[in-house]
Amino acid sequence: MNRARKLVASISTLSTRRRTYSPSSTFRTISINSQTHHSSRRESFQPSSSSAKPLWLRFSGREFSSGSSDTTSSSVCWNCGFLSEKAAFLFCESCRSIQPIDDSVDYFQIFDLEKKYELDAGSLEGKYKDWQKKLHPDLVHNKSQKERDYAADQSAKVTEAYRTLTKRLSRAMYIMKLNGKNVNEEETITDPTLLMEIMELRETIAEANDSKELDQIRSQVQEKLKQWSDSFVEAFESQRFDEAVKCIQRMTYYERACEEIVKKL
Amino acid sequence: MMLRQAAKKALGLTSRQSTPWSVGISRSYHENVIDHYDNPRNVGSFDKNDPSIGTGLVGAPACGDVMKLQIKVDEKTGQIVDARFKTFGCGSAIASSSVATEWVKGKAMEEVLTIKNTEIAKHLSLPPVKLHCSMLAEDAIKAAVKDYKEKRLKTNGVGESSQA
Repeated sequence: MNRARKLVASISTLSTRRRTYSPSSTFRTISINSQTHHSSRRESFQPSSSSAKPLWLRFSGREFSSGSSDTTSSSVCWNCGFLSEKAAFLFCESCRSIQPIDDSVDYFQIFDLEKKYELDAGSLEGKYKDWQKKLHPDLVHNKSQKERDYAADQSAKVTEAYRTLTKRLSRAMYIMKLNGKNVNEEETITDPTLLMEIMELRETIAEANDSKELDQIRSQVQEKLKQWSDSFVEAFESQRFDEAVKCIQRMTYYERACEEIVKKL
Repeated sequence: MMLRQAAKKALGLTSRQSTPWSVGISRSYHENVIDHYDNPRNVGSFDKNDPSIGTGLVGAPACGDVMKLQIKVDEKTGQIVDARFKTFGCGSAIASSSVATEWVKGKAMEEVLTIKNTEIAKHLSLPPVKLHCSMLAEDAIKAAVKDYKEKRLKTNGVGESSQA
């Protein structure tokens, strides 16, 4: 409903929108007049957002295309009715209340990242902490039970998203899942080369006794992980999904081996 | 630092909430599984190149398990006289392959091909989440038999041509 209204509003104010870019009004209440609502939305976003780019900057040039991926859902704050066009609307900047879980929001959207395997892991931690400063259950003691439940759910989801995206293997499996390719199937493999290599690797780990040797093996395995991670990217981006699955399988084996080493150390 | 600790606490809380069976009920391995884990029978290896040995090497990529099961076959009778296994994986996987080596001994090859993973799972009272471990053991048996038969075909072929 909201979206249809917005669309109609967009078309009707096509010519006038640019002129109303910087109005003097700063009110945030729900406005039935979509035109002023849009301009007031942009205005109210500026003072409250500190770390995020102002919405009007992000969406300029894309306002009129309803098919753009970031504006698939417009969400309304349950508390103040604020209309947000953010892909991941977890927290209302206008009234500072936490929103209920939206299952259509994926982990990449939460961290404002493109849906691809390569990412800048360094910025991830910062964004994660920023989210927790807003969503954490410990910060909502004086709020309603409903909102405390939202906080618990959102905070857990953000943590899960962070853990999934930080590690290469889980990120690979997640991105395959987003593309409808389920990796975690319980089928037996009989590839002799791979299995023999893993057998030998695990035997070596089992027989190794000093930490120096184990560290050496570990760095070798990390090397292999990196190598196969790169192969995964290549296979995935060329849409060779069967090959991508094989890369993930290998990575799983190497990760297990690393876990064994850590246990022994 | 504090935020991370708080986050961990929150995660601990929510994961406890989401697993209803964790309170009161302790998840433990069946005594048969513990028995096979503590006293594994038939751990070891045969010489792969020995013509009377069949080697089955299988893996479960989802959990990173790898299982090797070997059978020693009496060429005249076609009976399996001995078996060995080596498994890297969880307790259920190790126990499943241990049970498999016990069950194949003294049986004919065609007979062991009928061993079902459900029987192994029942013997060990494996929970549903560990059923694939017993499946892996069943696959390992089949792979070992297949390997032995293929080896026999190759040696028979060579034998006949050299005799002729």
